[in-house]
Amino acid sequence: MFRSFFIFFILVTFLTPCQAEAYHPTPEEIELITKIEKDTLQYFIRLSDKNTGLTRDSSRSGSPSSIAATGFALAAFAIGGSRGWIPHDYAYNRVLATLKVLKEDAQHQNGFFYHFLDARSAKRVWSSEASSIDTALLLAGSLLAGQYYPGTEVETIAKELYERVDWKWMMNGSKFICMGWTPESKFLPYYWDSYNELMLLEALAVGAPQNPAPPETWHAWLRPEGNYNGHRVIYASSGSLFTYQYSHAFIDFRGLKDDGNDFFDNSREATLANRDFSLSFAGKYRGYSENSWGLSASVGPGGYKAYGSLPGGATHDGTIAPYAAISSIVFTPELSIAALKFFYNNYAENIYGNFGFKGAFNLDKSWWADEYLGIDQGITLLMLENFLNDGIVWKKFMSLDAIQKWITLTGLAGKSDENASESPSLEVATPTASPLPQ
Amino acid sequence: MKGNRRRHFFINKPLQLRYMLSVTVPLLLICCVAIFGFYIGIWGSVLGAFTNEAMRDDLLTASRMVEYEQARYQTAHEGFSLLSLFKETEKLGQRQREVFHEILNETNRAIAWKLLLLLVLTAWGTIYVSHKIAGPLYRFSKTFSDVERGNYRTRIFLRKGDEGHPVAKEFNAAIESADRLLSDLKTAAQNPDQAQALATIKAKLDPIKTSADV
Repeated sequence: MFRSFFIFFILVTFLTPCQAEAYHPTPEEIELITKIEKDTLQYFIRLSDKNTGLTRDSSRSGSPSSIAATGFALAAFAIGGSRGWIPHDYAYNRVLATLKVLKEDAQHQNGFFYHFLDARSAKRVWSSEASSIDTALLLAGSLLAGQYYPGTEVETIAKELYERVDWKWMMNGSKFICMGWTPESKFLPYYWDSYNELMLLEALAVGAPQNPAPPETWHAWLRPEGNYNGHRVIYASSGSLFTYQYSHAFIDFRGLKDDGNDFFDNSREATLANRDFSLSFAGKYRGYSENSWGLSASVGPGGYKAYGSLPGGATHDGTIAPYAAISSIVFTPELSIAALKFFYNNYAENIYGNFGFKGAFNLDKSWWADEYLGIDQGITLLMLENFLNDGIVWKKFMSLDAIQKWITLTGLAGKSDENASESPSLEVATPTASPLPQ
Repeated sequence: MKGNRRRHFFINKPLQLRYMLSVTVPLLLICCVAIFGFYIGIWGSVLGAFTNEAMRDDLLTASRMVEYEQARYQTAHEGFSLLSLFKETEKLGQRQREVFHEILNETNRAIAWKLLLLLVLTAWGTIYVSHKIAGPLYRFSKTFSDVERGNYRTRIFLRKGDEGHPVAKEFNAAIESADRLLSDLKTAAQNPDQAQALATIKAKLDPIKTSADV
């Protein structure tokens, strides 16, 4: 009898799925993460045009402004102001000035902004497309800023920008949202039809107050499943880590169930797969190690590429983008913090500057990026803020009417309603593992 | 076989040196012009483009735009390019490689007709030079055939500037001597006095060394 009980106890102890405990960073780690977030904010302060507020795509000389980077900048200013890192009025005024330019001067088509704008005139440059995903990132930043300044002109203009977007038009009669439109070629032959960074775009399109995309478009895109080293992942074709992060910078997917798919867990598994993949090549590339990982779209020795891992495209050449591992901090806090510390302690001289971490590095080719990218800095800042500040970005964004409408219309509801209405207790939402400090 | 091997590179040193100079110098000049053309053409364009800061920024931005597009839309990979022969291009972006590829093509087109002209000139030069050797060789050969057929009145006449004048001069002197000897023998043979004719012929042939003297 005792023997049977003992065996049962052993089995239960070792075979029951582990309840991962929340990772509690040390005060030193919090200090370093805070420093990185504050330094990263400087990118948006220094590289946003003083008059238009439009943010440069890259710190490289001659770079145009990017609307995605500008969206991250709006969020960054609001966060910086709320944290007291920059004066409240300064942050508010810069956000307001930028939104006014976006409303009145920035070139757009049916509410969709052109991907690249001249930072001074806010006019289209480089024959860029009116981009659906980049407009979504801009709107997300605008709406988030509106949440930081409720009842102000900032919130009003942010909603106006959102309301003037014609999401149905961008569907071009299909069941998917088109990636973009140009005056020369009209709709691009590419649609958001498979899993990647599209979820934020889909959420804003379905939840839009005017000309929304039908809820069916949320269910229409493909959810391809793959497995790498035991990690089952609904994967993006590139396998780039950023595709598992962008939507999660704004939307708290914990507790949202999409036909049984948990996209928060999915991003955690994708992060672990990405790390395992690079570790499997540690013998070939000097830059890969247990604390040096993160294959994601970034600059590299051969230009900007959609680096990634399996499952997915798995394009890699030894180039590591620090932002990738760092921005997974909400999914894999312990591993991401270890990577962050490794990058900072070992490579700061080459890869860390006034605006935080630079784009990427490749030890095998002795190559170090000499530029920062706006979207890399943006995802880093928002993810670090979510981690350090109890999911504040998620809380504010999830309480938007549009997001609640999207959740309701697509049947993702479940626990998320509770999360949104109350303070979204991260512990309740993820009983298995809260990545955030409690 | 061993006995037939040439032991000296220079059989006729002045002739060979002249020939080498007349072939090598133009070839060297052609190579220098071609290399200089390639060098100036390609790198002049590249440096020209990159010296202008604004243009360099534009070029890099254009590269980045295309790279973004390719990363997002996962467009097709580039095919083989001559640029892939240069290791330095590993650190260039795809669009940058395209731009350099265009510069390379443009330069190639620009110097293609010059190369064609050089080719024609080289061909003409080679023919001209070789003609000065091949022409005399032909005349030598024709004259030898004439002699073989018994025509000792034949002589080698070379153009001014042809190679082989000294040899032709010596050969003409030799054939003239043989012609004179044979003429004398022929004249002697026509003498009705057989004994005197034989003595004359013998006297003429005595100094001549032939295989029969062995």
